[in-house]
Amino acid sequence: MRALILVLVLVCVALAPAAAAAQDAAAEAAALRREIEQLQKQLQSVTDRLQRLEAQPAAPAQAPPAAPPAAETPPAAGAPPATAQQPSPQPGISPLDIARPRQPFGLYQQRGAGQLLFDIGIAGDFVGNLTQKNVEKAQGGSFPGLENRFFPREIELSLFGQIDPYASAVVRIEAGEEERTGDITVHLAEAYLTLLTLPFGTQARIGQMRNRFGWSNEIHEHDLPWVDRPNVMRNFFGSEGLQEQGMEATFVPDLPFYVEALGGIFNGDNQTAFGAGTLRVPLVTGRVRTFLELGTDHALELGMSVASGQTSEHLPSTILGWEGRYKYRPDGWLHPLITVTGEALYSIRQFNVEGDPNGDGITETEKRQKNSWGFYVGGEVQPWRRWAGGFRYDWSQFLQTPGLEQAIEPYISFWPSEFLRFRLAYKHTARTTQTRDAFNLNGGSARTVDELFFQASFILGAHPAHPF
Amino acid sequence: MRHALVTLVTALAVIGPLLPAASAADKIRVVTTIPDLKALTDEVGGDLVDVESLARGTQNAHELEIRPSLMLKLRRADLLIENGLELDSWAEVAVQGANNAKIVRGAPGRVDASRGIQVLDVPSTRVDRSMGDVHPHGNPHYSLDPGMAPIITQNIVDGLARFAPERRDAFAKNRQAFLARLDEAMARWMRALEPLKGAKVVVYHPQWIYVLNRFGLTQAATLEDRPGIPASPAHLAHVIRQMKEERIRVIIVEPWNDVKLATRVAEEAGAKAVVLASMVGGVKGTDSYIAALDHNVNALAQALR
Repeated sequence: MRALILVLVLVCVALAPAAAAAQDAAAEAAALRREIEQLQKQLQSVTDRLQRLEAQPAAPAQAPPAAPPAAETPPAAGAPPATAQQPSPQPGISPLDIARPRQPFGLYQQRGAGQLLFDIGIAGDFVGNLTQKNVEKAQGGSFPGLENRFFPREIELSLFGQIDPYASAVVRIEAGEEERTGDITVHLAEAYLTLLTLPFGTQARIGQMRNRFGWSNEIHEHDLPWVDRPNVMRNFFGSEGLQEQGMEATFVPDLPFYVEALGGIFNGDNQTAFGAGTLRVPLVTGRVRTFLELGTDHALELGMSVASGQTSEHLPSTILGWEGRYKYRPDGWLHPLITVTGEALYSIRQFNVEGDPNGDGITETEKRQKNSWGFYVGGEVQPWRRWAGGFRYDWSQFLQTPGLEQAIEPYISFWPSEFLRFRLAYKHTARTTQTRDAFNLNGGSARTVDELFFQASFILGAHPAHPF
Repeated sequence: MRHALVTLVTALAVIGPLLPAASAADKIRVVTTIPDLKALTDEVGGDLVDVESLARGTQNAHELEIRPSLMLKLRRADLLIENGLELDSWAEVAVQGANNAKIVRGAPGRVDASRGIQVLDVPSTRVDRSMGDVHPHGNPHYSLDPGMAPIITQNIVDGLARFAPERRDAFAKNRQAFLARLDEAMARWMRALEPLKGAKVVVYHPQWIYVLNRFGLTQAATLEDRPGIPASPAHLAHVIRQMKEERIRVIIVEPWNDVKLATRVAEEAGAKAVVLASMVGGVKGTDSYIAALDHNVNALAQALR
């Protein structure tokens, strides 16, 4: 028995270290397992992080996440009812993803299939005008052929955006009533691309565009500060203004003051001023403009333009333009208090005259030159955000017709919101007797014209901000 | 010899002002759309940057007149830092007139400070203009929320480092130093507004939601009928009634908004209209980021007490 106990004790003594060692080994194995699991987790985390970083190579991961808002705020009484006050992470995106700065093209990456990568806007401009019956007969109002009518002057569909990192594009399609038949004409108003990344402070615009000749020519009808285009612009470039196909480039030198120089080459399709319509004798345009800031409240822009080409008779025609625009905008005001705009145009134009100077019955064609000029000056006061009143004075000769016309147009504008505007205007035009051949037509007379205008304009969707 | 000297001096006198200052030559020329971003870029960039803002603090950042002088600033810029979320989309027109390839959309010199921001007021339903001038991507007025400064400044560091990678450490160091100062100030602001937690305020334009949330205050109503739409008399009467019923004591108004109207409504409701700096420099003595927040917190705390 004693021997048995002794054997048992010996066995226990012999096995105890082994059992302890086994227990130690098991604990060590468990610890190792935990460590491996932890390492695996860390590896997975690092792998995930690496994958995210690889997806966005330049994005550093140092941005700390935003602290959560301290309290939730209920929607404002006047605010849209269904807006989320809380941050709204997109499904499948972690807070880390939200905190991380996105890449320059993040906007495009986040758009799904079928979403547009450009902006769309619609501008509508309706005009009603009332005038004398005589004027209607002679079609001598500010909207020839559309006197005493309410009509859609311009419904404009604008599509604009970046083509790629180097260029942007604009396409504008316009519809409007051009004759009193009520038929609506649709046409391509503008379609051009702008190369944005040319060297030496240059940009180029290629396509069909409203030429940057003077200040008002580039402005679309619904954006003009008056109901109608200034008389001198209409008389020298036609009712649509100067709109050409070709290319122009601008250069802004790196100077302490702002100067923009522009040069362009176009077909010369404008029938009123040019009309050659060929690049063999192109319409060449140029403009220089500068800007003076007189303190923070006063600003003045000055410019000079030139357009030189040939008429449809292949005779030279050159138009020079000068422009000035002043604004007084007290600091902090949302709108200018006073705006003064003026442009003057001078035309040097040759034309053929057929006649019988010798009285021998033989018709001869003689070249003559006519120099004409005209100008307008407009002033506007906007004491309140939603209301503005102003006037425009016009004085203009005609490119070929003798005589001249003067007009005064007071108006008042009201904006219920920045996307909707109503305007009421009165215009009195007086033409000299030499204009009777051009304006006394169809048994009517438009030598003295009184017109009452009503205009309603709206903007739907995107609309780029207006330059000065 | 004298003639040559006179010619040289005259030429220098004429050409001199046209040349950029030599000291500015090695600095990164940064233009920001709003002064808040200028203030933060000044903090991050320190002496290594030369920063200008397109908008002034007293202006409405939604509607800036695109003067050629803005294009002139952008013409020389190495970097354009914009607020994003459609607050300053007008900057695109100025950029297109500046003829500067470095800052066109998609170029490395274009920095969107809103990247990574947790945007509030994101419409959860289809939006249209019947809701006013609503921002489809959410409320863009995050820049004066001190809690957003770490993200904004990180975006600025990244933008600056894209242009000058060798200076990243210096920018990061400046950022850390600024954030440390901001943390100290934050503790002070929290202490000032802690007792007022949960207080309701009326705002003129819904641009304070980030700051109010940060400090535990609640936006109860806006004076604007809808964002950007002037208040109708009926809406104002409703707001006055609500203020009386809920005992709201403060209307926050931006310096560029109709302070007189806000004061009139506040008087009707037995409350106070407080002009806060909607951007850095919006109110006198708020020429830095921390100074603007100091003013806003103190003015708000005083009015709510």
